Amino acid sequence: MAMQTVYLKEHEGLVYNSVGQLSSVTSAPWWSALGSQPVYGEYCGQIKPFSFEISNYVDQFPAGKQAVRGVEQLLDKGHTTTQFTIFPDDCKMSGDAENPQATLSLQSSLAEPHNRFEIGFNQPMICAKYPYMDQFYGLFSAFGPQISGRIMLPINLTSDDGPTYVNAKQYHGIIRRRLSRAKAVLENKMIKRRKPYMHESRHLHALRRPRGCGGRFLNTKGSTNGNGRNESKVNKTGGRQLQSSASQSSEVLHSEVGTLNSSKETNRSSPNISGSEVTSMYSREGFDGFSVNRLGSSVHSLVDMVLSRPLNGLQQYQVTAATLKFD
Amino acid sequence: MGDNIGKVLDREGFKYNFTASASGTSAQDGVIKEQDRLLPIANVGRIMKQILPPNAKISKEAKETMQESVSEFISFVTGEASDKCHKEKRKTVNGDDICWALATLGFDDYSEPLKRYLYKYREMEGERANQNKGSNGYENNIANI
Repeated sequence: MAMQTVYLKEHEGLVYNSVGQLSSVTSAPWWSALGSQPVYGEYCGQIKPFSFEISNYVDQFPAGKQAVRGVEQLLDKGHTTTQFTIFPDDCKMSGDAENPQATLSLQSSLAEPHNRFEIGFNQPMICAKYPYMDQFYGLFSAFGPQISGRIMLPINLTSDDGPTYVNAKQYHGIIRRRLSRAKAVLENKMIKRRKPYMHESRHLHALRRPRGCGGRFLNTKGSTNGNGRNESKVNKTGGRQLQSSASQSSEVLHSEVGTLNSSKETNRSSPNISGSEVTSMYSREGFDGFSVNRLGSSVHSLVDMVLSRPLNGLQQYQVTAATLKFD
Repeated sequence: MGDNIGKVLDREGFKYNFTASASGTSAQDGVIKEQDRLLPIANVGRIMKQILPPNAKISKEAKETMQESVSEFISFVTGEASDKCHKEKRKTVNGDDICWALATLGFDDYSEPLKRYLYKYREMEGERANQNKGSNGYENNIANI
């Protein structure tokens, strides 16, 4: 019963927001109308378990349609139609929530010249934040007196978990960030797949560089940059330790991957080689903890390591991999 | 086959970056926005290594996860500070606004040390400015001689 009460008050907040929009802004920009609809989409998950909530949602839906009416809103809706068509190509998880909005926009879509789209796009951006603040302020005041310290977030359709309670101070910040991310997704600017490299020319250059045993670049020790790096890192103890750990991780990667390295790994190999040089200096000075890094330096150190001390599983695997590479 | 398609898209984005045309492909938007949206992953990895023992290793996935987390946190705090500046009709977000935003969002334990850091940083900047003025005066004296 308490949960239903909370849901009812949420809807009251929504009604307040919609009325506020209608009263404050005579011609609502397309983004404010779009901003109100994702809130409906977010509440769909909450409405399904309760029949009372469904009736409230049905009552509020015509209010949303009334907000959609209007000549300028139709112009803005025409612009939103072009953006919604991108969704099926992206295969986003949030597409389920966005499909009803696409239906609404398709119903009210009109054929418009591109210039008008640009004009319609520029104007709403100027006053974009003001309606949001009205929405957030209403929601925040609606939730404030009920639960001290914690406010329940609207449920994400992507995550099937129950309602999440967050710090009351952070509620409107989180809602604002969600809208920003949704906007970025709409503008097709957030790509989840990471690029292996940023610049084609640098990638091609890295492919052409000669490589030695283990796939690492040659001509690194003789370069002036390498010498400079060695000098700078010898002066700092922390720098030495950092580079030694980097070289260890790179060796593990080389032994596991075995085949072609991506440009990021190859770009990192040059500081790794200098790190291995510093590590060899450590071994000369008597640092037993870094003896594993001798793998990259020479076969003789490998033989010494095999003969001198027993090895655990990981080290044995590294020794075997290095032996195969040397053959 | 997929790799070739990716390369072609990257090349197109690369060309558009040179021409700086307004109408770019989705690859261009992705290229630009990913660099703008996230911190450099090498710097994130370096900062993560500072707190770890020397023989520790950090996986690439860990760096990427931390990259996403810290970038989102920066946007979260900066958005709060930007809202405050918008209300006060100011256009520049300064360090005090960031400290205020951290306190407003409940990160009081971070806000207080950051204020002290900001205070000392400004003191150091003031000293540097005075040194520059002194050196300018010295140069003027030489010119007079």
